[in-house]
Amino acid sequence: MINKELIRIFMENASKVAAEPFWVTNLSEMNQILAKILENDTAIYCPNTTELEKSVQLDPKQLVDTFMHATATVEEVVAGIAETGSIVVTSANNRAVQVSLLPARHVAILSASNIFETLDDFFNGIGDTIPSNITFITGPSRTADIELTLTIGVHGPEKLFIILV
Amino acid sequence: MKKSTQPCRINFRQNSREALQNNSLRHAMRYATDTFRDKRLNGIQGVPFEEWRQRASDLKISVLENLSGYGDQFAANATRRGAIVHRAVDAAHARELVGDILHDHGAIDVVKAKSMVTEEIHLNKYLDDRGFRVIETDLGEYIVQIAGETPSHILAPALHKTRHQIGKLFCDKLGCDFSDEPHVLTNTARKVLRPEFIKADAGICGANFFVADTGSIVLFTNEGNGRMVTTLPPLLIVVTSIEKALPSIKDLPLFMRLLPRSATGQVLSSYLSIISGDQIPGLPSGSRRLHVILLDNGRSEIADGPHREILKCIRCGACMNVCPVYGTIGGHAYESTYPGPMGVILSTLLNGLERSHPLLDATTLCGACSEVCPVKVPLLKLLYELRERRVEDGYAKSMERFGMLGFGLAANSPFFFETGQALAKALWSLARLLSPVTVNRLPVPTDRTFKRRMS
Ligand code: SF4
Repeated sequence: MINKELIRIFMENASKVAAEPFWVTNLSEMNQILAKILENDTAIYCPNTTELEKSVQLDPKQLVDTFMHATATVEEVVAGIAETGSIVVTSANNRAVQVSLLPARHVAILSASNIFETLDDFFNGIGDTIPSNITFITGPSRTADIELTLTIGVHGPEKLFIILV
Repeated sequence: MKKSTQPCRINFRQNSREALQNNSLRHAMRYATDTFRDKRLNGIQGVPFEEWRQRASDLKISVLENLSGYGDQFAANATRRGAIVHRAVDAAHARELVGDILHDHGAIDVVKAKSMVTEEIHLNKYLDDRGFRVIETDLGEYIVQIAGETPSHILAPALHKTRHQIGKLFCDKLGCDFSDEPHVLTNTARKVLRPEFIKADAGICGANFFVADTGSIVLFTNEGNGRMVTTLPPLLIVVTSIEKALPSIKDLPLFMRLLPRSATGQVLSSYLSIISGDQIPGLPSGSRRLHVILLDNGRSEIADGPHREILKCIRCGACMNVCPVYGTIGGHAYESTYPGPMGVILSTLLNGLERSHPLLDATTLCGACSEVCPVKVPLLKLLYELRERRVEDGYAKSMERFGMLGFGLAANSPFFFETGQALAKALWSLARLLSPVTVNRLPVPTDRTFKRRMS
């Protein structure tokens, strides 16, 4: 059972930190949104390993094999945290956590059943041997180091889209 | 208390006098501390902050009671995950360890993410002297580094520079076109630093926490440079200090809630990395080699002493942003890695009264710092105690000591008190001639004293 209230809280909190969440009910809707978001990207990287990633349909001309110089990444992330509006990426299953870091735009696909209500819920279910890298991502990269003016997009992505499926 | 190895006493009075004359610095400080203060207030609205900080404080106390135990447990678990853990007794030891590890790996180009512990041990200068090429990658630290200066605020290191100055600096040092638009400058830094991350032989960073039961290093960042430094170069050296231990990964949520809220009012920083061990061979994430240096540098001794609660500090900066002294003069005047109320206390304990006692003047004893601290460090109490210690150890100025002694006498005797008042009135013009700067700041003695008005 998908908890709509949890999704609502997650979306609200993600929006507050300047992420752009979408909620879709089926895969074709997901692909429509992807096509729109990634319209102008010329080098999109998708690891293509999880079921949801395999359902991603993009123009093959837009796709690239490595993330180093990609303009955008589309990947499934392992969890969402409603309390903070964060998504979680890890190095489990050979995933390079840098895919969500180097390209200027990060599109995270999140299965609605992987949303945790609180941080504690996430850590309680984490098990004994944790992946060598767990990264919580809460909005795009930001700085206020020049006269405290908020600037979005420093070393990490300037855009974070989250598509809830 | 540790005796100073840096004999040169901090000239706090002179520094603050200079800072006070620097109008643009004063405005920047006021604006910054007000902004951070408001953000924090917004951040803690509607959350059970008091309950959280009590829990965090209790937990940190339990850590202090077993510092070496948690250090050992962390070392065992991190080692099991493939990391190499070193213990450094003091700054010189830690510097050498870092230098030797870099040397052994044949590393030359090093990228750094913001870390106060590496500033505490003056790592950059040492590595520079040994011929390594070290680049700070946090935007504020980068600005300060290419300007050849030191940070003025722990959350915004380049706060003392205007956008115009930064624009000129980039123009001069990086050869780009002049702009004073923050997003243009930020973009320039992104472009200049990206290849540095990719070509770097090694990364160096600090840690906000390390976790005993999983052997993990925890890092909060906003810009993404911390993620770059920890995942791109083949070698990563984490330099952290022993009091940053958390017993369990399950303790992390509490500090994830407290630290960003207290620092910048954020619910969570943009990135939080939990790094456990080095890269598993064949996997792309993380460094191939991970070294962790746990620095003591006097902390074990502080943990056994009466002022140990300063070691609960999680470096959020909240006490600085509410401090009327810090908010006026800024971080440079303290001549210490750690400024503001927590900095006065920690610097005094780390470097000794001989060097640092003038910093104990950097307080109005208003107590605002104690009220905001997310781990309930009793800052006001510690400031009082260290000021008492300063008098006991003979570091207080004789003028001040005699003045206080005289006031104590007068306050106990109506006759002396009134005589004092009359004398002050009579000698005021003379005192003003002799020391105009000091005396003009004081209220002029009145004929109609409180007592006379009441009788
Ligand atoms: S003493 Fe408390 S308020 Fe000050 S920096 Fe440390 S944790 Fe923050």
